[in-house]
Amino acid sequence: MNPDLAVPTRQHPLGVIILATKFSWHVAKAGWPALLGLSFGNIKWYHLLVVPAVFLVVGGFAFVYYLRFRFYVEADALIVERGIFQRERLQIPFERIQAVQLFQGPIQQLFRLTGLRVDTAGSSGNEVELVAVKLSEAEGLQQFLRSKMDGPREGGGVQDAEGLPPPDTALPEADPLVSLGWADLLKVGLSQNHIRSAFIGLAVVLSLFQGVEEQVSTWIAGLPTMALAFAGLAATALILPSLVLMMFVGVATSVVSVILRYWRLHSTLGEDSLSLQMGLLRRNVFEVPFQKIHLTEWKSNWLRRALGYETLRIQQAQAEGGRGGVRIFIPAMQAHHRAAMEERLYPDIGAGEVVFDVVPARRLRWILFALAASPALVVLSSPQVVNVLMGLLWLGFVFWTTGQRYSSLRMKVYCNAVVLERGWFWRTRTVIKLSQLQGVEWKRHALLERRRIGHIVFHTAAGAERFGYMDKGKALALRNFALNQVHSAYGHGAD
Amino acid sequence: MEMSTMVNPEINLSDLPDVEAVTFLPVSEKYRTMRLALWGTVQLLLLAALLSPYLLYRFGGEEDLAAFSQWWWPVAAQAVLATLWGLEEWKGFQRRGYAVRDRDITYRTGWLFRSTTTVPFGMIQHSELSQGPVSRMMGLNHLKIFTAGGSGNLRIAGLAEEDAQTLRSVIEARTRR
Repeated sequence: MNPDLAVPTRQHPLGVIILATKFSWHVAKAGWPALLGLSFGNIKWYHLLVVPAVFLVVGGFAFVYYLRFRFYVEADALIVERGIFQRERLQIPFERIQAVQLFQGPIQQLFRLTGLRVDTAGSSGNEVELVAVKLSEAEGLQQFLRSKMDGPREGGGVQDAEGLPPPDTALPEADPLVSLGWADLLKVGLSQNHIRSAFIGLAVVLSLFQGVEEQVSTWIAGLPTMALAFAGLAATALILPSLVLMMFVGVATSVVSVILRYWRLHSTLGEDSLSLQMGLLRRNVFEVPFQKIHLTEWKSNWLRRALGYETLRIQQAQAEGGRGGVRIFIPAMQAHHRAAMEERLYPDIGAGEVVFDVVPARRLRWILFALAASPALVVLSSPQVVNVLMGLLWLGFVFWTTGQRYSSLRMKVYCNAVVLERGWFWRTRTVIKLSQLQGVEWKRHALLERRRIGHIVFHTAAGAERFGYMDKGKALALRNFALNQVHSAYGHGAD
Repeated sequence: MEMSTMVNPEINLSDLPDVEAVTFLPVSEKYRTMRLALWGTVQLLLLAALLSPYLLYRFGGEEDLAAFSQWWWPVAAQAVLATLWGLEEWKGFQRRGYAVRDRDITYRTGWLFRSTTTVPFGMIQHSELSQGPVSRMMGLNHLKIFTAGGSGNLRIAGLAEEDAQTLRSVIEARTRR
């Protein structure tokens, strides 16, 4: 083990400034309504002294926090000691680590420091962040943790006594995956869901009042608050010009947030891991071992497909209760990127043999149609020619769309991978590994049981994936096959 | 990587061990009593709530019964729902059960909404026995099985004390390998 890592260490001294900024930001976010309220009252100049006083306290707080924060490495765990009033000693066993991520916010970039975030699959709130480490040290620690994450590997490829490999030679056989230039960024930005972007703005403004902006901010990490406030305000107005404005804001928000998130995105495929860096204000460097990937999902809408792009979502193990878990998005995946990625991650897909090729039962098509057609019943309330025509038009449209939707549903099971495809307008391709399944469920209600139809649910560490309305005989055979693959992959344990 | 290449694709699908072929062990009969008691209590309370205008008129000195003229609608709706729920409890209990194989555990529930879930022992992170006040009185245990991500968690409810202990020790032994 590298001796440097075994010694309890503080972060870089400049971390005090970063911590102070971070805490001030939290205080400002929590306290701005109070300040706003205060400004309507009858204030004297000395009331304003509250502001520097608060910042002084926060600064002191940050200093003490910095002094009491230490991290080091033990034989099989990363240890972090932290806390001011309540001391805690976090012990993170290497094999529980899901991902080690380096990040640089604007201040870190200014000081040439970096933050390091360790995510685990434990209960939520178990992730650990160092905010200020020298870049070389952080890369060293990242490589070290990365080498320990898989547990002992055959071949003894893990450097131990001689310390860490130099970071730039870490991945000799890495192949380039997606890298984004300006034009790509723009294309990705324009093919986002702008309505969602506009509403994200609104949601952020609303959540400022409730203090639950965490969920939203994971979507749009690092976007300036003013732009978001603008988008949100626009979203509240529903008259036509505002709609146009909202559309512009939506597009602008999309483009800006894409630029902030995916600026100079560069990803490479290693032999057994994926590395990825991206971001403008907050630059992130990920290093994800294939073994820790529990689900991949390729998504596209018609606009993205026209550009030949798909967005990839990589999902790692979630905490209990289905929250948390590292999710990484890579936009602008082209067909050959996907092929390269799947070849590494799921070699059995390329190897060919499809063990099960499943389409849903025909009944599903009529269920979908009946559900979507029901609004046409409104015609019955006033059967005029125009209404009947409208109703028929709706029926025709719905007949076509549900047909498309039905025929888009497909499941292919290879010897270790399950590929689920659904959607014709928004198309999704989800891939999970049989060897990583946490459970298999066969469910149906009594009416479906009579027709020998049901749903198969694959429980993974990254959530449940369902394929509905499947023939019973095939589903039960698939369940047997899936369980057999889990058992044979997991080893011959029980005795 | 090794994981995906070690499995042999040439598998005769009809030769695989069949989950359906196992025999399911029922949970304790007392658990049915407990579920039916819960069903009865909820039905009584609901009925009392639905009939409250009449009860107030009869015993509470309320003079106006106009609000009660349509009483059969809610009562009929309750009767239908109660029957469905009762059927689910009664017939569902006959289907409720668990089966242990060498490498996995299967749990089956439900009559209207049927579900059969299999969890490999290798994926179980930990297990837990829990008891509420009522189940403690009746000597019942609920066994919870936790898997990574929480999506595949199982809760086998209404086990007799000794069955619960046996099942738990079986799981612990198989999980630890």
